[in-house]
Amino acid sequence: MDITSDIHSRHISRQFNHELEELKTHLMAMGGLVERQVQEAVEALLAGDSEMAQRVVENDRAVNDMQMKIDEECTQVLARRQPAASDLRLVLAVMRGASDLERIGDEASKIARNAGDLIKIDNGTRGFVEVRMISEHVRRMVRDALTSFARFDIELALELVREDEKVDEEYRSAMRSLMTFMMEDARSITPVLNLMWILRALERIGDHANNLAEYVVYLVKGLDIRHTDLEDLDEKAITRKD
Amino acid sequence: MIRLGRARLPRVEGALPWLAAGSVALSLLMLAGLLSLLAVRGMGHFWPAPLTLVTLENGHQLAGQAVREERLPNAAGRERLYLTGNRDLDGAIWRWVAVDEIVAQSHPRDLVVLQRTRWGNFHGRLLALEEPAGRVEGEAAWAALQARLKEITLLREERDRLRDEVVVPLVRHLEQDPDAETELARVSARIRALQARITGGSLLLESVDGRRLEQPLEQVLRVWRPNAMSPPAKMVAWGRGVWRFLAEGPRAANSAGGVWPAIFGTVLMVLLMSVVVTPFGVLAGIYLNEVAHQGRLTHLVRIAVRNLAGVPSIVYGVFGLGVFVYGIGGSLDEWFFADQLPSPTFGTGGLLWASLTLALLTLPVVIVATEEGLARVPDTQREGALALGATRVEMLTRVVLPMTAPAMLTGVILAVARAAGEVAPLMLVGVAKLAPQVPVDGEFPYIHLERKFMHLGYHIYDVAFHGDDVQAALPLVYATALLLVLVILVLNLTAIFLRHHLRARHGARPRH
Amino acid sequence: MSVFPLPQSAAGGPIIDFDSAACCLEIEGLSLAYGETPALRELTLRVPRHRVTAFIGPSGCGKSTLLRALNRLHDLNDDVRLNGRICLEGQDIHAPEVEVAKLRRRVGMVFQAPNPFPMSIYDNVAFGLRLQGGIRKRQLDDIVEWALRSAALWDEVKDRLKSSAWALSGGQQQRLVIARTLAVRPEVLLLDEPASALDPISTLKIEELIRNLKSQLTLVLVTHNMQQAARVSDYTAFLQEGELVEYGATDTLFTNPRLARTENYITGRMA
Repeated sequence: MDITSDIHSRHISRQFNHELEELKTHLMAMGGLVERQVQEAVEALLAGDSEMAQRVVENDRAVNDMQMKIDEECTQVLARRQPAASDLRLVLAVMRGASDLERIGDEASKIARNAGDLIKIDNGTRGFVEVRMISEHVRRMVRDALTSFARFDIELALELVREDEKVDEEYRSAMRSLMTFMMEDARSITPVLNLMWILRALERIGDHANNLAEYVVYLVKGLDIRHTDLEDLDEKAITRKD
Repeated sequence: MIRLGRARLPRVEGALPWLAAGSVALSLLMLAGLLSLLAVRGMGHFWPAPLTLVTLENGHQLAGQAVREERLPNAAGRERLYLTGNRDLDGAIWRWVAVDEIVAQSHPRDLVVLQRTRWGNFHGRLLALEEPAGRVEGEAAWAALQARLKEITLLREERDRLRDEVVVPLVRHLEQDPDAETELARVSARIRALQARITGGSLLLESVDGRRLEQPLEQVLRVWRPNAMSPPAKMVAWGRGVWRFLAEGPRAANSAGGVWPAIFGTVLMVLLMSVVVTPFGVLAGIYLNEVAHQGRLTHLVRIAVRNLAGVPSIVYGVFGLGVFVYGIGGSLDEWFFADQLPSPTFGTGGLLWASLTLALLTLPVVIVATEEGLARVPDTQREGALALGATRVEMLTRVVLPMTAPAMLTGVILAVARAAGEVAPLMLVGVAKLAPQVPVDGEFPYIHLERKFMHLGYHIYDVAFHGDDVQAALPLVYATALLLVLVILVLNLTAIFLRHHLRARHGARPRH
Repeated sequence: MSVFPLPQSAAGGPIIDFDSAACCLEIEGLSLAYGETPALRELTLRVPRHRVTAFIGPSGCGKSTLLRALNRLHDLNDDVRLNGRICLEGQDIHAPEVEVAKLRRRVGMVFQAPNPFPMSIYDNVAFGLRLQGGIRKRQLDDIVEWALRSAALWDEVKDRLKSSAWALSGGQQQRLVIARTLAVRPEVLLLDEPASALDPISTLKIEELIRNLKSQLTLVLVTHNMQQAARVSDYTAFLQEGELVEYGATDTLFTNPRLARTENYITGRMA
């Protein structure tokens, strides 16, 4: 059956309701933090703000701590409540979601480090157009993934899964143009490599956001759509309402 | 139940625990009092009490046992009742004596008590033993009398045995068996010879006030000198007395002798009753609880059964008389014993009808106990048996009934306790004032269900109210009452032992 | 583990569409009422052979009633009215030629509270066999030992077979009852909350036993304890107010039930 976002507040045990709410809230808080990390890492690059880049790298610790806290909370719920059905799926989705968010955080700090390197080299603004475009796309994906998680919005999640393919497309074309830069100017190899790392990190973030969206589908529908082609999704009757 | 010696009664609960404990104590006290009264009054009767020789102011002398004292009505002192015996001399066996008039009391060792088949006991002195062989006087007469009495007792037993075991059956078969007549004549001659050896011979006796009496020896049962007996000898005499009371038949219109036929009749009647009531009650209980549809009708039947337990027992007696004795018994006589009519065989009160009547009387008790036992068997036990492929009959016989057996036995115990003490209905359906022959003998069909029988309860009633001298019979009443209590106790203990045995076989109670 | 599709039956109640050949019990349109009070309504489901099927549901949902219908324990009660069909290996158990006692030997039952008979351990296990009669002492000994071993009780009681069964602990008593049932070699074993009166360790022993018995016979388990159903059963049926709400592989039912009623029940939500 499909579930709605208020389903975790209808248990006979209020304590259980509260524990599940906490899980969700903490995941959203972590998501907010991670989203800001990504935004700031990209901004640091575009604005040439090395201090901001440094701050992003340092903040990654906080992201890791949050993941560990969420994991611990999930373990407690599993051990004490032995959740079943949608409750079980929520706990699993939160655990996996936290893991993906942590990876996004890692990627953000990777972007920030490469941004710091780029600022030192003072490469100018070559490639920034691609970075800005992809980063905006990816940040929207992260935001949408978190929103769909918060609202149990399966349509938004599915849209996001499709969006990821566009990001992949943009990433490939950006990589091609960066390769052209490298071949034109041998001195630009180092900065272009930095840029390529940044783009790669952004593409990864998109993949993780995609994972988050897949967890939302699992959470709401109980269907595992990982490793499934988009065309097959309809066959899995994913949008059907019971 | 209050456990003595365990926890103290808590004060905080107010008076209730004390009231409860008090009632229990009072009940126990009354029970103990009743039993000790019966024991002392009843068993004391068999103790060879000393004979007191009383000399009065006017020179009269009497020999007797002091029974009790009473204050004279005008407060002029006290008077004392003596049991003096010698009904043939005095016309009474009791004598009131004003205590003030007594000048001397002594306990001469040569005073004798004679127990006789006629006129009751004699108190006085033995002067001589006269026999065809010659006359013995003085102290030698006492020793000769002892030996002679022992011989007479043996002769009497032999005579009674011949009469009961040979003559009575022969008389019954007189018509069928032509040889019986010659045999009968032969035995009669032997009995007459024995009788001749018993009779002949007499005692010369003298009462303490000097009146003389010649006493035929054949009427003398026992003789003793209470004042000359040592305590162990008295003990032995007491034991023999109790034994004779238990083992012998009654004499002198129930006012003396033993109660053996009554004990036997009571026990046999109760056993027969149990044999009848147990299967009926158990089957009825099983039907009501296991077979019948639990509807309104069953409920009504159940209420009716419980109410039957409250019907006065004399009503059952009337029912037994009307239905069993006159109805069924009358018909049986017409069909099978027509040759003996108009003298009834089964058409009069007898052991069978009495047992059936009491079975009817105690049926509700057994039914109710059985039902309660069945209701206590958990349904899971029944379902467990059924789930293993048992039919309902197998379930009942192999699981439910074994578990119910203790409860059924409890029902039988209650039934026995009630039946053994019941007298009123028996007076209508078969108990006899005197039936010295017990209903079981060596003659086919061995148990004679049509015969009348004696019963301890009725015996008490008869001795206490229908004797010539109630005062003299009172100790026998107490002794018989004690015996009745003991008989019921033994019957109950047997059933309780059985129940305990059954419970032990089924192990501990389940844990859940 | 195979994935079963979940088609709707004609009556609207969900069934699992096992091949008839894989079914031990087939229940079709079963309705049952105590007097005027309906307890089961139009129930249709199939119980697969050599699997553990659990019935879960709130108190009074009819799951015990359904279980008891499977070996006709309701025959005892005059007020029960029953419609529909229950087939054991293709044969209607209410057919006139079916002997109830024989049927109950084929479909054994273990109850909530351990109910050993007041006899020795040996006699308890031999009870059902002795009812059938015609078994030699030697053979009886062998079967008793086999049954006690199957119920994982042999090692604990082999030295005191002659002592009273009521002296055993609750968990041992329940395993004894299972051994007693196994001794008559049933095809189906019905378990009516077999562990609800037991401590957790005894419960686990019973559950382990249930899993091991699967290779020998078909098991149907009624339980209040959803975790227990999840732990031991292959298929789970959720009943509510006498209706079969959802029936499916336990793997699916406890992670992703199809219906909100099931979801609410197994996750402890208010409807």
